[in-house]
Amino acid sequence: MSSQIFIDAFFDFLKVLPILVIAIIVSQIIAVLLPSKKTKDIFKENKKNIAKASVVGIMSPGPLLAYLPFLKTLKEKKVAVSLIAAFITGQTLIGPGRLFLELDYFGWEFFAVRVVLAFFIAVAMGVSFKFLERYIKY
Amino acid sequence: MSKIKTILLKSLKELAIISPIFYIAIIFAFLIQIYVPEDLFNLVLGKNIWIAIPIATLIGIVLPIPRYATYPIALALFMKGSGYGVAFGLIGGEVIGESIARDIIEIKYLGWRFVTTRFVLSFVFISIGGLIIDVIL
Repeated sequence: MSSQIFIDAFFDFLKVLPILVIAIIVSQIIAVLLPSKKTKDIFKENKKNIAKASVVGIMSPGPLLAYLPFLKTLKEKKVAVSLIAAFITGQTLIGPGRLFLELDYFGWEFFAVRVVLAFFIAVAMGVSFKFLERYIKY
Repeated sequence: MSKIKTILLKSLKELAIISPIFYIAIIFAFLIQIYVPEDLFNLVLGKNIWIAIPIATLIGIVLPIPRYATYPIALALFMKGSGYGVAFGLIGGEVIGESIARDIIEIKYLGWRFVTTRFVLSFVFISIGGLIIDVIL
């Protein structure tokens, strides 16, 4: 029983490993090649960019795990955590890959309302982080 | 050429740090999946949406249910009359705290303060979203 858990976990680990490797390499490419100032200029912290980060998150496919090394690099380059939080929220709440499953189970109305709510939740998350950044060091 | 070498070396170093943590986290997730009772879902079947939706969200966040397995569970609860809000809460909560493995990696990469704040705020906003969807649909 217990040895089976280790084997199953190992196979699960192998499944995610290629994504992890690609994500780490991409994040290191950004870390080495893109200067911090330029990164900060691209990802300025304002409401418009929080909304943009939310939309990009909603439209981004795949597991969040694949984006984490990249997000870590952005954080190290002083990109605002509000943008990172908005992206993560949008990315996790809606997955393009789950569209058909969700339509089949709950219908298009549920999905449409969920997408709209996900956008507002992601924006609210970003705005909340923007406020909290003043008091908490992330 | 030296930049490529730097990228590859840094990537390998990062992979060496994160791989063991990730493997241990997967084992931990398996153990929880085996030992957490399924009856816990019956808690969200209450008719009071003010309580049921936050509980559904919390269960979604806390339990390491596989992402695609949430839909049949949410549908089963919905068919038993729990409403769209509970389904929204459960699905939303689950994707926020999808697995222990991912959560540990997120803490490692973005810090525990960031992850804790994200989870608390997600719980609040998804619960509110669940109440809204219950009213709309």
